Amino acid sequence: MNIVTCFKIVPDDTLIKIVGDKLDLNVPSKISTYDKNAIEEAVRIKEKFGGKAIGVTAGNTDRKSIREALAMGLDEVIAINMKMQDVMTTAEALAETLSSIKPDIILTGEATTDSSTSVFPSYLASLLSYPFITYAKSISIEGNKVKVERNLTTFQEVVEAELPVVISVVGEINTPRIPSVKQILESSKKPVKNVDFDKEPKIKISNVSPYVITRKKIIIEGKMEEAVDKLLNYLSQEGVL
Amino acid sequence: MKVVIYSEDVDSIKTGVMYFPNDYTIVVSNKEVKVSDELHILDDIKEEFIANYIASLKPDLVITGSSKRDKSIAGAVAGLLRYPIITDVTEISGNKAKRVVYSGMGIAEIEFSYPVVITVTKKSVEVKEKESKILKVQTKDLRVKRVEIKEKGGGGVDLTSAQIIVSVGRGIGSKENIKYAEELANALGAALGGSRPVTAELGWLPEDRQIGLSGNKVKPKLYIALGISGQPQHLAGIKDAKIIVAVNKDKSAPIVDNADYIIVGDAIEFCKVMADKVKKK
Repeated sequence: MNIVTCFKIVPDDTLIKIVGDKLDLNVPSKISTYDKNAIEEAVRIKEKFGGKAIGVTAGNTDRKSIREALAMGLDEVIAINMKMQDVMTTAEALAETLSSIKPDIILTGEATTDSSTSVFPSYLASLLSYPFITYAKSISIEGNKVKVERNLTTFQEVVEAELPVVISVVGEINTPRIPSVKQILESSKKPVKNVDFDKEPKIKISNVSPYVITRKKIIIEGKMEEAVDKLLNYLSQEGVL
Repeated sequence: MKVVIYSEDVDSIKTGVMYFPNDYTIVVSNKEVKVSDELHILDDIKEEFIANYIASLKPDLVITGSSKRDKSIAGAVAGLLRYPIITDVTEISGNKAKRVVYSGMGIAEIEFSYPVVITVTKKSVEVKEKESKILKVQTKDLRVKRVEIKEKGGGGVDLTSAQIIVSVGRGIGSKENIKYAEELANALGAALGGSRPVTAELGWLPEDRQIGLSGNKVKPKLYIALGISGQPQHLAGIKDAKIIVAVNKDKSAPIVDNADYIIVGDAIEFCKVMADKVKKK
């Protein structure tokens, strides 16, 4: 089984701060939250069926994050250096890189925490002429067939397809493992292949401004009975109750 | 310009039409909504087929909604046509669009050129009815076959249109404790929702009750957050609430900076006292 998992290295969204009229993105990098679930699932499939689990990342190629992905159990990582990227150019870079690998399964997270588009998996699938299955909450493989439970928030769907296939996973599919010290040490011996991809995206982000709605931030402390009375007063003044 | 608009949701279709009133519009949907020059009615939603179908119409612009299925289709269409794609767009004017980024922390202004695929966040707008030329389209499964569909028993609660929402987070403590939030919701005539950990990870509430960037984006006049710390993905889902009340033991939780009224204390005690007082009112 040839498994590829795509992951993105992003600014840690829990550390991003608003400073004046700017977002301070100069924060530590991390593997995007649900991409860790994709890495975990790739490693689990490999552990069950054998073969190779290869990680591919494009854009930010922060070494520490790549090491973490390797420590989680990937065999190697291909790091695509891209200065500017959008969904289209990222999918093109991945499609070019993957064409020689011919994976049986390509796994991604449902969305990344930086751009949250969710459209990358099906875009990549179109470029590779693979079928796509998005929002997987469980994956079972038998022979050449894959059966997937999809979580589409208001309902669930079970679908089947033959390999090869692109699958995006939701956070509840698994709990990503935390690598041991030994695994972290061993990860430094695993191969990281660097590739350059240079193409200018057709869409450009011209500005990012903080999205703030100023709240009143009135703190009510004290005994619960009195606090609730105060709150009810405020809420009736606001006309919402 | 030939504009193809696809969505499983009527409001998203209308939002798409609203942005491009002077272009030739083709709506592809399983919903019968006559607001375009042509209406291609699908008998089912089969994602790969629909993506291929839209691409075969050779549009200059594709607009879809931003639901999970809409986006899956939009990505596939863009890949088939090799068009750039912009998602969750809240505003389009000419060659510029706006969308939310970094889990709701930022708004990005984007410059683009046509052809392009855009997924829009729906607005409640009314657009003019049109004498649409109607075409019926029979869909089929291609390489991915649907074998089962399970609707979730959420009691038909529509969080996106609820006026008051009581919402629980991990800080409520246990699945059993949800009943206190439920009682408060009943007293207030509110809908009950939850954060991602509570719905998707711990299963204390059904997943269709999830509020946040990857669940329901809500716009109630009153939002009561019980034991919710306020991760960016959750805050992004409640930005449009008129008043946010947070009940939390931790005065330094991120929700505190993003709420109008903060009660520092135990969420369960709050539920009991608040429900009692509301009932007596």
